[in-house]
Amino acid sequence: MKKFKMKKLKMDFVSSSLLNGKSGKNKINFILNRVKDGSILVVNGVLKPEEEMNLIKETMRRVDDGFPGIEVCSIKRQTKGWGQFFEVLSERGEKLQDVFLQSLTGKPIKTNLKTGLTVIGPAKIIKEIKKNPDSFSVLAEV
Amino acid sequence: MMVFDGFINWIRNFFRLRQDISLGIYGCTNVGKTTLANRIAMDWTGEEVGKASRIPHETRTVQKKEKILIESNGKKLRINILDMPGLATKIDYRKFLKYGIKKKAARIRAKEATQGIVEAIKWLNHVDTVLAVMDATKDPLTQVNITLLGNLEAKGIPVILIANKIDMKRAKPNNIKEAFPQYPFVEISALNGKNIDQLYDAITKHARKAG
Repeated sequence: MKKFKMKKLKMDFVSSSLLNGKSGKNKINFILNRVKDGSILVVNGVLKPEEEMNLIKETMRRVDDGFPGIEVCSIKRQTKGWGQFFEVLSERGEKLQDVFLQSLTGKPIKTNLKTGLTVIGPAKIIKEIKKNPDSFSVLAEV
Repeated sequence: MMVFDGFINWIRNFFRLRQDISLGIYGCTNVGKTTLANRIAMDWTGEEVGKASRIPHETRTVQKKEKILIESNGKKLRINILDMPGLATKIDYRKFLKYGIKKKAARIRAKEATQGIVEAIKWLNHVDTVLAVMDATKDPLTQVNITLLGNLEAKGIPVILIANKIDMKRAKPNNIKEAFPQYPFVEISALNGKNIDQLYDAITKHARKAG
């Protein structure tokens, strides 16, 4: 009888509260350590644009023959009208607060994730992510 | 004191107008960034910026062409073109083997490409205005495009969105315009120069010093 070798796919569902409170660098290390180990991370939150860019930068520093990089996709909660206005206002306020606190304490500031959903996984496993404005589908191969 | 501050600001603005504007050309790999940089540089200086290729990650270091004087609709602007390595979240050296590159050279190319991306990201702190180039034949809603535009917005860097490759039959530039409606938008073919004058109009109109 032919034996089938079961291939495994590990998915980690991470609460935003686990990542909130970590500084940008620690957040990225947390994500990349897990993804490099082969996990697909599903987070109920969205990184800030600067953190996303740092994630790409740090990924590039870690690329090797066995780890070609990551696939990442996120959906931010959509707000319109006054909701959008207050969100922009709150983002600007947070930014000012971060700059002020960092210059005062000299330490990296811990930031919270925005509301939304993010999937990050190893490019070796995730073959394609198709994104629409409000949804995305992930094609993985193990 | 206020008069003195005003005078300092006037002096600062006076010299700012005389500074060159650093125009960063950003986007995913193979969207035609170097072809565009060459088109602009050839049109105004007669010299190319770099070598374009169908093999991804041909540009692996930031390529510059400085002090290009462009003119459109009576407005003059002196720019420095910065052709950036293509941004990506993954680089697998095995992909280069398909293009006939030997394994050792492919590994070196991949390593240089990762370093190029890090360099391009660092340069986001030094560019004044960005030409965000997208391939009109492809889906614009990639995470790299979204992350790039999000960063530029957060940094307050002006963006001109470019749908390139409109010479191709399957090009759908409107998809790009609809995906990111908040930016000045131009659809061009960097390869054959179609609508390139519209791009120069947009540059003289929207490009400015960052900050």
